[in-house]
Parts: sequence; C-alpha cells; structure tokens
Amino acid sequence: MKYTPVIGIEIHVELKTRTKMFSSAPCAFGKRANSLTLPFDLSFPGTLPLINKEAVRKGIQVCHALHMEIDPLFRFDRKNYYYPDLPKGYQITQQFHPIGKGGYVCFKVEGKEFKIELDNAHLEEDTAKQIHEGKKTYLDFNRCGIPLLEIVSKPVMHSPIEAMLYVSKIKEIVTFLEVCDGKMENGSLRCDINISLMDEKGVLGTKTEIKNLNTIENISLALQDEIARQEQILLSHGRVKEETRRYSEKEKKTILMREKKGEMDYEYFPEANLPPVKLSKSFIHKAIQESPLLVEDYLRLWSNLSLSDYQKQMLLKDIDLTKYFQSCLSLQLENPSLLCNLLISDILSYLKKKGLSFSKPNLKQEELVALCNHQSQNKLQSNQVKEILKRHYEEGKDILKEISLLQQNPSFDEEKLTSLIQEMLEENQRAIEEYRKGKEKVFSYLVGQVLKKTRGSVSPSKIQTILLKVLSKTN
Amino acid sequence: MSKYNKLPLTTLHSLLVNKEVSASQLVEDAISSMKEDPCFCFEVTCFEKARKQASKITEVKKEEFLKGIPFVCKDNFSHKGVKTTASSKILEDYVPLFDASVLQKLKKEGMILLAHTTMDELAMGGKGVSKNGITRNPYDLERIVGGSSSGSAASLALGMIPFALGSDTGDSIRLPASYTQTVGFKPTYGLISRYGLFPFAPSLDCVSYLTRNVLDASYMLSTLAFYDEKDFTCSHHKREKYQDYILQGRKKKRIGYLKEMLDNISSNTIREQFVSLLSVLEKRGYEIHSFSFGKELLENIYPCYMILSSAEALSNDATLDGIRFGPNRAKDARNYIEYMKKNRSIGFSSHIKKRFLLGSLSLDKNYRSTLFDYESKVRRLLVNRMEEFYQENDFLLMPSSFSAPEKIEDLNLNISSDRNFMNHLLTLANLGGYPSLTLPFMKEGNMPLGINITAPLYQDGYVFSLGQEIEDITKIKDCVVEVAR
Repeated sequence: MKYTPVIGIEIHVELKTRTKMFSSAPCAFGKRANSLTLPFDLSFPGTLPLINKEAVRKGIQVCHALHMEIDPLFRFDRKNYYYPDLPKGYQITQQFHPIGKGGYVCFKVEGKEFKIELDNAHLEEDTAKQIHEGKKTYLDFNRCGIPLLEIVSKPVMHSPIEAMLYVSKIKEIVTFLEVCDGKMENGSLRCDINISLMDEKGVLGTKTEIKNLNTIENISLALQDEIARQEQILLSHGRVKEETRRYSEKEKKTILMREKKGEMDYEYFPEANLPPVKLSKSFIHKAIQESPLLVEDYLRLWSNLSLSDYQKQMLLKDIDLTKYFQSCLSLQLENPSLLCNLLISDILSYLKKKGLSFSKPNLKQEELVALCNHQSQNKLQSNQVKEILKRHYEEGKDILKEISLLQQNPSFDEEKLTSLIQEMLEENQRAIEEYRKGKEKVFSYLVGQVLKKTRGSVSPSKIQTILLKVLSKTN
Repeated sequence: MSKYNKLPLTTLHSLLVNKEVSASQLVEDAISSMKEDPCFCFEVTCFEKARKQASKITEVKKEEFLKGIPFVCKDNFSHKGVKTTASSKILEDYVPLFDASVLQKLKKEGMILLAHTTMDELAMGGKGVSKNGITRNPYDLERIVGGSSSGSAASLALGMIPFALGSDTGDSIRLPASYTQTVGFKPTYGLISRYGLFPFAPSLDCVSYLTRNVLDASYMLSTLAFYDEKDFTCSHHKREKYQDYILQGRKKKRIGYLKEMLDNISSNTIREQFVSLLSVLEKRGYEIHSFSFGKELLENIYPCYMILSSAEALSNDATLDGIRFGPNRAKDARNYIEYMKKNRSIGFSSHIKKRFLLGSLSLDKNYRSTLFDYESKVRRLLVNRMEEFYQENDFLLMPSSFSAPEKIEDLNLNISSDRNFMNHLLTLANLGGYPSLTLPFMKEGNMPLGINITAPLYQDGYVFSLGQEIEDITKIKDCVVEVAR
C-alpha cells in the first residue's frame, strides 16, 4: 500500500501594530513581564474591547495579497474555553465571518510552479505566555491581546517540501507587506500543521496536529518524521490516534503533547460587545492602495535593469535591502548592477561586521549613488570605490569628502609616480636593504606604501612595474 | 427619615444654589438615614470619601445641576479603590483599579457617591438575593423589593437618597421601581456607556437608574447619555436635552396596548385602573389602540431571554476564576483545573450555577440549534413584531407588574418554567433595545404597582413627556415610605 500525505496548515501571524487588537496597551517583545497590560488585558470586570483599526488595515492588505474575498461586514465571535493563559475565558475571533475568504498563493521553485488554495484568514487576539518553572507556572500577559491574523490553507499540500515552501512564501508576503517581522524563533509567526495519510483508494486517515515549529527547516523535518511514523503504524495495521504533537529538535522527531478526545466544543457565539461594522469601500480600497510592494512587484519594477537572477534573489532576501536598493533607483543611478554588487558584497559584509542592518546601514543612498556614478563615469576606479567604502566603515570617513579628495589629486603619470617612489624609498631605507638582502616579501610592502601615497588611485600592477624599474636603476 | 434627600433632584438643586443647605449637610443627612437601614440596601459604604468630596464644595452655581447631591449605585459599577463585588462571593475582596465611565461623569458633575447597593448576585435574578441576604421591600418588610437593582430601589423609596444608579438586563430597574413607587428608567441601548458596568448579558445590559419623578429622570439622561469611545456599542446618535420634551410639551399621540395583556389581567382593580387611565388619556387627546401581538410569541419572551442571557452570562463570568483577582480559595490546588473549579464552586451560589448550566447547555453543539440558535431567531421575531407594533403606535403602555411582590418566606430561586407571559413583558424592551420607563401608578392593598411606557429606539424624550402626562394624571410623585421601627 502506498500513502499520500495530505497537509493543511494554519499560520498565526502576529501583526506589527503599535497597540493590541482590542485594547490600547502597547505591543512589544521582551519587555518586563506584565508591564504592557491594561485592565482589559487582564479582563477586569466592566472592561470592554475596542477594535484596532491598524490591525484591520493590515489584515485587509494580507487578504488582498492572498487573492481573498474581503468581507466588508466586519464581525467577531467568542471562542469559549477555560485556560490560565486566556483571562476572559474566551478568545475574541472571527469564527463565522472571517475577514478574508478563499484565495490562493502561488510560487515557483526551480522552475516548478505551486498554487496552494486557501480557506480563510481571520483576525483574533493572542493569549498570555505561560512560563513553567518546576511545579510553578507564571503568567505574562504582555503577549495577551496582540493582534493575530490566522491564515488557514485548505488540506491541499502533499509533501514536506511543499509545506515548507508554502510557509516561507507566506512569511515572505507578510514580511514584505510589513505587517509582521516574520520571526518564527520569537513566535511572531507560528504554524500548526495538520497531517494525515491518504491510501490509494483516496480514503483519508486520522489526522494529527503538529505544533511548536519554530523554524522553516523544522517544518520539513517534523513532517518527514510524522509521515514516516504514521506510515509505519498503518503498514503494521495499527490505528493513528487523533492527537496534538510537537517537534523536538533534540530528538529530531515529533512527540505526543496530548490526545484529542473528540472535537472540542468551543461554544462559539457572536461577540455582543463588538456589533458588526460595515467597512467602507474607501477604507478597504485605501488599505490596498497603501500596501507595500511584494516580491512580484519588485521583480516587475526591475525587469529592465539588466540584473541577473542571482542579484535579484540576493536583493530580495532582505526586505530592508530591497527597499534600500529601490530607493537608490530613484536617485539617477546610472548602473544598478554595479550598485547591487556593492550592496550584496562589500557593504553587506561591513554591516555584518558592525552588527548593523539595511534598515540602518549608516550609509546615505545619495552618497552611495554618487560613488557608483563616479565609477560608471570612469572618474573613479573600482578599487578606489572599494577603498572609500572601507574608509567610510572602518575610519568613519565622509564619503563625499573622500570622493572630492581623490578627484583633486591629479592623475599620476610615470614621471610623477617615479618621484613618489623615490620619496618612498628615502623613507624606507631599512626595508630596501632587507629587500636587497633577498627578502622578497618586502617588495609588496613597498608597493603598498606607494599605493597609500596615491590614495589607491593607481593600479598596483602599474606601481610594481615602475618600482622594479627604479630599484634596478638605483642598484 | 432624611430631611432633605427625600426631595427630588430639582428641589435639592435649588436649595444648594440658594445656600439653604450645603453639600456636607446633604451628605450627613443621607448618612444618618442610611445608618438606620431597615431593608438591607447596602453592600458597602464610602462615607469618608463622600464627606471629603462634599467638604470641598463651597458653592453651587445654577448651571451645576447635580453638584453636591448624594447618590448610590448598584454594586456592579467598577469603583476605583472601593470594594465592588456584584453581591457575589467570587468577588468578595475585589477592589477595582478604575471608575466606570458613568461614575467618572457623575463625579465630574459634582455628585457624591455614598454607597454600593445590594443586588441579585451578578445581576442574575429579580428577587434581591445577594451573597449576604435578601433585600426587603420598604412597603412590606416581609416581601421582596424585586431586582436585580434591589438596594437602589429600596434606598430611594426610603428617602435616603434622591438618585440611584442600577442596571437593567431583563427588567432589573423597572420591576423594583414598580414595587417601590419610584421612577425607573432604562434608556435606549447604547445611549449610556456600559464601560465599567460588570456585564451580565452585553447584548441586553443597559445602565439604568431610579429617581423620584419623571422630570428628574429626564434631567439625568441629559447628563448620563454621552458618547464614550471606550464602549464600542455606544451609539453615535445625537444626544439631547431630554427635559425639554417635558418643559416644552413635545408630544406624540399614539398609545398602544397589547390585547393579550389586557385579557389576562387577573386583578379587577388593576384592569379597571388601567382602562380608566386609557380613557383619561384619550380625553386628553391621545389615540388609544389595541394590538394583538400573538400569544405564542409572547410566551417565548421568557425562554428567549433566559437562554440568551444565560449563555452570555456564562461566557462573561468565565473571567471569574480567582487567578487575577477575587479571593483565592484554592491554595492547595494541584493544577489549574482544580484551582478554577474550586474557586468557582465556592464563589458562585447554586442558582448562579444553574444559569451557567443552562447557558452551557444552550451553546452545546448537540443542543444549540434548538436552544441558542433557535432563541436568537425568536429574538428577531419578537423585535420584528415590536417594529410592526410601532408602525401603528408611538408607545407601548402597560402596568409594570400585575401582582404584589413575593413574600420572602415563599421565595423559590429555581429557574422558573413559568410560561405566563404577563411576568415578562418588560423584557421586550431589552430584546429590542427600546427606552422604557416605569413610574408610580396605583396601589393594590398597601403594595404599590407601577405603569410602564416603552417606545421605539431613541424616542427617550417622548417617553418622558408621556410619563409626565401620566404623572400629572395620577398625581403620584416624589413618594417616600417610612418604615415603622
């Protein structure tokens, strides 16, 4: 018997809003426990929910990007259950009328096209964080009430790779829309995966749910393990139990969290404190209009730039880099490819070294464009450009000043170079003696000294030739 | 009996403006009468806070209508720094961190809050059964005062204070008003902010209140009906000077009554008095119409209300688990389930648990289609029928109650399976969100009984002007009762 995995994924996207979904308490990660709470977040009697407009706007932007139908009548329901991390005893969610319905997401990997059909996307609130220490459990309500957009796929995926690619695509979309930082390790993007095996007759087996997947890679690893586990049970004529499992990175397998005893009855009913709101056409339209650009949009914008696929891919790896590059394009940049290369090699490595990122690269777009344009106009050599960047990042030198300094220096003809070399030789008597004694290594040191005097504006090979000439003459 | 606080708001205001009495004198006057409470009206008092506030008031200007006047509120308004328990053991030591919007507003207007009044636990019930006992009716201490705004109605009737805040989910202001010869008003849903009102059933709950006469009630709405951005259900409808409807004689003329109601009044006295009121109104130029609502539909008011309100209550009160506030009575619990169970088992009385069971059953996936979902449809049908009624009528008029309040010794707290719609007609106003006013009407024996006016949404002003007309006819107003010691 051969089995086909059937996979459906629920992705919880923590929306990057200033305040919580239903209260005006601020949202932030890593603050002192319970410092970001208002009476509503702790559900003190008499407190009432309000709707965070920004969360709705961001929800609309995601739904639009996922080709969903947006429900203009905006409604909430209560999901009732008792748990210590749920202070109200119910979660406000959109069970009956999700903000987005249907939709799909497409992506292409190594020439293969995927289209994943979606069921819905709905807005809700996050729960408090539980911290278990020995026998004690502590509750931190800072997370409680942070807006979540839950994106629910249809059970249409059939391989761990497909599932992994789907989640990375959603992550890319929400990151580019700037609605979520997409950090799975911080829990700002979380996914629950439902997986069951279908036999050759098309009969679906019992599904299990996998939680706590905190990296994209773990999705694939967990699914591989879970498929193998279920397959083994079925092949030995066992019964797959309906249960919630989690992936253990240490043991590299899924582990039972709890068995599900029938379907939980959440006793949903409409949230009377938030009567239906009719979203105006202009509100929806404006939200969509103001959506930040997606990867596809950038590719369209860059289609005439003669960038290689590799260059584009590198730029699109990081939303801040993408935006930085895009804003350079509007500054009369002459050679985008040149600038791209500087960004993805030299500048990226300086930023890494300094612990900076492209959101604050300590480099003005105008300056970088000026530098690049000098090179494309042959006013500066490639090594001079690199040298300027180096001085900028390592010595804090001002880029525009460095450019003008170099330009003030006249070009070095052979005569000038020869006199510079002679000057250098007088300053380095001892080094020359060592060279004469046969220490070949000293030669490159001498070349470096001349290079310094020319501020990097002459190619090292040219210096070498003349230096050899001078040395042989003075011999 | 108080000397001043038995007087209506308008009179007290003039006395304060003319410096015939000071705010401090009013507060002391109220405190001394409240200390001799024969009916068990109060859960908690805040006399010192009140005295301090009063001592700062040296003069009252004409435009400061409420400044310096004492009041009380039901024990379900969040009151910063003062124990607020909704008369329930589960909140026995709860001291809120914030003021309800209406309390904030009244404080700003200079009104002085003296005490929290007794109520049915968590506002569920109409009999005045709180965690510590039963509130008694000042007209007959052997009888209940009705509820759930029990202490508010009793203390007002006893002349202790001229204004009392309460809440109305089914008839919780208007029924006790009927039993105490006071004026009880539930405004249009959404006119007054619910922020800080402990919820019972948010789709039905209204901040409501009691006064001595209809004019006072109209003035109070002008103050309390402000738009509050903290309450998403707060209406954007324009607010008015509601007293102007009375002062300028703005009226609507079409009065309707339910045929089924008239047919089912068992007391001849009540029927005769009601009919005679109708004829006096007719003589004064009102049109009187009979309307057949449909008996079967009327019989569904109570099950509809019980199912929907119990389901909402179950969910709202899920927050009462002893984790974040309220007394912890489960220190030895081994896990969270045990912890919650124990706190809730001890914290709620048995009749509250029965409502929770009913609520849970009605939402259970095996029953919800015949309970919660069905009754949600019934609610819509009832409201649709009311809208048809309003096509022909501007007001619905009826007695607020049809018999004397129960004797305490006969009290039964079980959920009634009583299908007699006559006891549940006031709830129509909650299901539709309509403004509804109960005012003194008559006495049967020595027990008072009120009359009720209900009108379409946002017709609150016209409700007051008709109320004033009836008050002028009955001449029963500003009543207080003294309890023989």
